[in-house]
Amino acid sequence: MPAIIGLIVGVVVGIFIKPDVPVALQPYLPIMVVAAIDALLGSARAYFERSFSDRVFVISFLSNVITAVLLVFLGDQLGVGSQLTTAVIVVLGIRIFSNVSAIRRFIFRG
Amino acid sequence: MAKETNHKHKQPRALNRLLHQEMADEINDDVSTGTFPQVKKKPARSIRKGTGRGRILTTLLVIILCALLGFGYVTQIQNSQSSYATLSEDELVRLLDETSAQVDTLEQQKTQLSEQLRSIKSAADKQKEVERVAKENEESSGILSGRLPAEGKGVVITVGQRSGHIPASMMFTLIEELRNAGAEVMEFNGVRVVTSTSFTDTESGVSCSGQSVTPPYTIKAIGDPSALQNAIQIAGGVGSQLRVKHGAAVSVVQSDSVQINAVRQSTDYKYARTVE
Repeated sequence: MPAIIGLIVGVVVGIFIKPDVPVALQPYLPIMVVAAIDALLGSARAYFERSFSDRVFVISFLSNVITAVLLVFLGDQLGVGSQLTTAVIVVLGIRIFSNVSAIRRFIFRG
Repeated sequence: MAKETNHKHKQPRALNRLLHQEMADEINDDVSTGTFPQVKKKPARSIRKGTGRGRILTTLLVIILCALLGFGYVTQIQNSQSSYATLSEDELVRLLDETSAQVDTLEQQKTQLSEQLRSIKSAADKQKEVERVAKENEESSGILSGRLPAEGKGVVITVGQRSGHIPASMMFTLIEELRNAGAEVMEFNGVRVVTSTSFTDTESGVSCSGQSVTPPYTIKAIGDPSALQNAIQIAGGVGSQLRVKHGAAVSVVQSDSVQINAVRQSTDYKYARTVE
């Protein structure tokens, strides 16, 4: 429940504030969003498995986002930023898909 | 059942395997997805035993993180349209190439179209100008040369002869006075007065451009009515001369609408040619 409330609050605030993304952050924001979605879906799966823990969620969320950003940052430093971005997105996408299918199985019982 | 016991006795290794399978099934979750068998059936974790403050803190953190996610998502949506920062160098170069090629094509089109527009414009302008001049010339020269009827503000002058004879020179003076006063179109007893109009004396009156006219003379003139009237009625002017010298009755009537319907046939010029 707090997660949903937080999501709604964030979306509403984003719609009304309409902030400009700083140039330095522009390549990383999409990655951060995807990583955060992955963390959110992982925690949703844990919730259905009845092993959800606030602390674990917070840590996994932050570590997901930070790892993804660092990876892309590293890629930028090495000159393969776009490729590594693609790699991160693909991996996170796969994880999101597997998480969603797990959740689906819990909801529909196979 | 009997069949199964028989089976057991016959193949104890198979039974063993069956038991193993059962144990494995026990370990696995009863959720029969097969894909995610490691569902733990542990009781709720001991994390929950934390104090209320810790729980509130973690809940708040969850809220904040999810809010950040939503915020970032919306921000990215609103900014992703104009973001080239994530494109690679190759993509940027390609984009630049495409754009400049497009610009070139458009420039070419623009040049072509503006060329066309200019030519059409100049042609149309020329034609229009020629037409306008022709029309203007037609109208003004038509009125000037007496080919077209005219109408407008002006005066109607009546000169009645009582005694004696009004000489043609007097009539000429009258016409000249009217011209000086700005008369644009004039008619003398049904004869259109143009540049080549002449007056000559005849037995019964005067001859105007070869057409003999008799008194009373009616002169219609289109122009500024008061100016024309002044030109005739001015003290010592042509009106008083006519009255005094020739005993004529001169009346000048201003009119808002003087119709001059008399026209003069255009002459064919024998020697004169227009300059090309």
